[in-house]
Amino acid sequence: MKPFEMALPRSVEEATRLLPDTIGDDRARLLAGGQDLLTEMKEHLVEPDVVVNLKSVPGLAGIEDEGSAVRIGALTTLATLEAFAAQSPFEGCERGFRMLLEAVESVASPQIRSQATLGGNLNQRPRCWYYRMEQFPCLKKGGTECFSYYGKNRYNAILGGGPSYIVHPSDLAVALTALDAEVELVGPTGTRSMLVEDFFVLPSEGDPLRETRIAANEVLSCVRIPKASMARKSVWLKFKERDAYDFALASVALSAEHAGDGSYGDVRLVLGGVAPTPWRCHRTEKKLLGREPGEDASVLAQEDALAEAEPLSENGYKVPLTKGLIAQALLRIEEVR
Amino acid sequence: MEPEIRWKDRDDLTVLDRSLPRVDAVAKVTGTARYSHDMRLPGMVYARLVLLPWSRARIQVIDLAPAQALPGVVHAALVEEDKELVRYLGDDAVVAVVAAESPEQARDAARAVRIDWTPEDNPLITREQVSEEDASSLARRGNVWQSGERGDEDSTQRALQGALVMVEAEYSAPVQHHACLETHGCVVDFRGGDEATVYASTQAVSNNPRSFARALGLDSAQVRVVCEYMGGGFGSKFGIGLEGRVACEVAKALGRPVHLMVDRPQEFLMTGNRSGTRQVMRAGADRDGRIVALHVEADKFGGVSGGSLPTPPYIYRVEEAYARIHTVHAALDGNRAMRAPGHPQASFAMESMVDELATELGMDAVEVRIQNLASETHHRQLRAVARAIGWDQHPFRTSPADRPLESHERPPGCPAAPPGWMEGIGFAVSQWGAGGRRGAQCEVRIESDGSVTSSCGVQDLGTGARSYVAAIVAEELGLERDQVTARIGDSALPPGVASGGSVTTGSVAPAVQHAALLAREAMEERAVAVLGGETGGFSFERGRITRKDDASRSITWREACALLGEEPVSVVGSFQRELHQGGVHGAQAARVAVDPMTGRVKVLDMACVQDQGIPLNRATVRSQINGGMVQGLSYALFEQRVVDPDFGAVLTANFEDYKIAGAKDIPRMQPIIDEGDQRSAVMGMAEATGVPGAGAIANAVHNACGARVRALPITPDRVLEALGRKG
Repeated sequence: MKPFEMALPRSVEEATRLLPDTIGDDRARLLAGGQDLLTEMKEHLVEPDVVVNLKSVPGLAGIEDEGSAVRIGALTTLATLEAFAAQSPFEGCERGFRMLLEAVESVASPQIRSQATLGGNLNQRPRCWYYRMEQFPCLKKGGTECFSYYGKNRYNAILGGGPSYIVHPSDLAVALTALDAEVELVGPTGTRSMLVEDFFVLPSEGDPLRETRIAANEVLSCVRIPKASMARKSVWLKFKERDAYDFALASVALSAEHAGDGSYGDVRLVLGGVAPTPWRCHRTEKKLLGREPGEDASVLAQEDALAEAEPLSENGYKVPLTKGLIAQALLRIEEVR
Repeated sequence: MEPEIRWKDRDDLTVLDRSLPRVDAVAKVTGTARYSHDMRLPGMVYARLVLLPWSRARIQVIDLAPAQALPGVVHAALVEEDKELVRYLGDDAVVAVVAAESPEQARDAARAVRIDWTPEDNPLITREQVSEEDASSLARRGNVWQSGERGDEDSTQRALQGALVMVEAEYSAPVQHHACLETHGCVVDFRGGDEATVYASTQAVSNNPRSFARALGLDSAQVRVVCEYMGGGFGSKFGIGLEGRVACEVAKALGRPVHLMVDRPQEFLMTGNRSGTRQVMRAGADRDGRIVALHVEADKFGGVSGGSLPTPPYIYRVEEAYARIHTVHAALDGNRAMRAPGHPQASFAMESMVDELATELGMDAVEVRIQNLASETHHRQLRAVARAIGWDQHPFRTSPADRPLESHERPPGCPAAPPGWMEGIGFAVSQWGAGGRRGAQCEVRIESDGSVTSSCGVQDLGTGARSYVAAIVAEELGLERDQVTARIGDSALPPGVASGGSVTTGSVAPAVQHAALLAREAMEERAVAVLGGETGGFSFERGRITRKDDASRSITWREACALLGEEPVSVVGSFQRELHQGGVHGAQAARVAVDPMTGRVKVLDMACVQDQGIPLNRATVRSQINGGMVQGLSYALFEQRVVDPDFGAVLTANFEDYKIAGAKDIPRMQPIIDEGDQRSAVMGMAEATGVPGAGAIANAVHNACGARVRALPITPDRVLEALGRKG
């Protein structure tokens, strides 16, 4: 591994000043739980001169009741979030925490969850075979080609792909999108917030070197989830090839309120493991509004959500698989109390 | 006088045939057991291989200078002078070696070696690529050649035409890795001079000194090989490999101890594998379910090696059978022996075909097997696993399920499928030669303070060999197992055998028993002096030696040993044919759940019955059966090497991408020791248990939902595709 300097900032602002100004400039990188960064460094995918250790910044971990929102510090470990969500101490947030608990528990392994942080989970890099192998100079590493397009692509994107066909590996990004969560980004000149949904960016929308809108010198400091969203019925389904430690082939986060007549009121339908970002199905959500839950609504949702799917040579199975998950999520949400 | 060569009657056993924790259990779970990887010697350097990870590469320049310039680097060398071509992605892709004071420095140095290379036009990965007219030849006989043929094709064709039902299907299995937790390699302690000690991760401690000696320029007698603990071999660790030879070269060059264990990607790329197969089968059956004809065309995909596949028909009786087998080479690592080489591949195809015929005929999956299996043992075992898995309660014994099961349709305590999932049961059988071979010896020493040592050079691959080297002696001398110290894993000890083909127990246990009988006789001779009577006339029980004809004439073990004075007992036993046997049988059943919406398969329950003669330790036998089921499940559902055929690169050279079953994927397991086997002999059995799992699971998937998945692993995409095919 390339030797590096470890910087121990005492504040987020100090951390931002240690970071480079431009995306793709890897001279300095943020370290939180290290579960992704250290792997990337060992594989020589990034070789920073300076590692800025956020653990030295006080106050970045912890879960707080802010009145109208739940604030989760970026350095909160997934294990802490898991334990907290299981207790669900904030009134009116039980449903949201139950869904978050399902999502957190589906991530990696207990060992990794004990170290991995929420901020790191949202900012982790793709798992595509070609990206992770140093020997392939792929688009995500500044190369000119997405090798998965012509190559082995059973785990790659069926929606929103091109010119890169990665799928975003974060499970929590999908769950948090369904809960209308926001991320707070602190930069050298100030703080801004945006929806988790807007935080992620398709490769076609900009620079394929990145998966999010975070600036090179910004720090994701916390996530806020509106309590109103936490009160909605929500379910999380993650489909893994194997149960022990695996990324999603597809996942569904569904959050909905039912109107007095039992029809769908407010709906969020977000897919994971199928696109370079969490894939929110806005049009499908609208079509479900006012409909009675049941077979017809389910078929409509499945077909509509996957209508634009363009599978690659080896991942066509993700279409029926994701439809199956959507159907199960719609059934499950009726059982949520 | 030689004692009578025999095992005690089963009813008289007090240490063997019991469930005892293995003697090194605590050392293993607390991490105090020292593996080759753990060896740290004064002055030791860390060596690392430099591997160019492409299947075909033309080399222009290999520049070692950038590596040599790094701090801590003490050695950098080419593995082969003037190498121009990487012929295949395996040990041939290892172009250089570096050594440094720390593992991190060695890793950096390996990466710093600059290699200028260009890809060859044809990466020689797929059958199509290697068959191209101008494709470079990977083997003397060409890239595709007929490696086996058996039977009469014409009469088989006629028999097929005469069959009541005929099924044609193509079954394929991917390349599977051994995936040893401890990678290949060794620590060579050679500082010049005329002796060396090598700490090797090996399945053949007593056989390795010769190879290491050759590499070091010494005689076998000057080289001691030690392997106290073994982090997995599964057939891939018999020879010393390129890594062993290179480690010796580095030690010779530096005169310092060398630690060379390959890294994880290298473990996947160059240390062997189970070959893949494609088997095109046509089979016919009569109305009683008898298989009257089987026609097989098979390809074996063993990289630069030949591949492994027993010539069909596999286990089942077939009236007319014809098989033609081709070896299809690729520019990839050659296959090596891997737990029952070729057999899981053969079993998956044959058991699937038997099931397909049963479905065509509307026959019960157990009955059709009994109809076509010659061995009564298999019949008994199939009925046993059928009972254990709940076949009698199962409503879909002759055709796939068309609805989820209700709770009364499973036996009490049986795990159930999640709501809405379909559930099915499948079967498969196994057999294995095992047996033993000559050459193993064991020394038993008894000291005047009562301590007993049982020594054999054999390695313990995790099967429990260390435990029985002690337990067999304790049994014969009437002691507790803890009163006997086992010494193993050292070529300075009496020779063991290489652990392949499940022969270790059948070879070593008879030698240990022979030594125990000799030791017992030696103790009897001393006892005669104080107790009277004659040798052969004593019982050894609960720490006492007692005259059989006069129970009042008795001394304790310690008293008897005190008589030894300055003359300890030292006897050496050797392999005794009559103490071992070969030929084991097994049957497995799997209950799976299938989610028809997503194609997910979850194994709920597995049962495996296995015969094995005298169970030397029931706990380790069950552990071996469980291990076989887990490996079978992992092969069935998860494992596959993935290669990019355009670039000739392996995409799954780590444990994230090469998926093996994890704790949460393991079902309830019912390891059943076949009590119907009362042979008074020892034999190995472990490899048999790894054979039938994939076939049983594939058949269970079909029984659950009608999806016949004919390619391993049974991943969701394949289940969904098969469900779609069903309509």
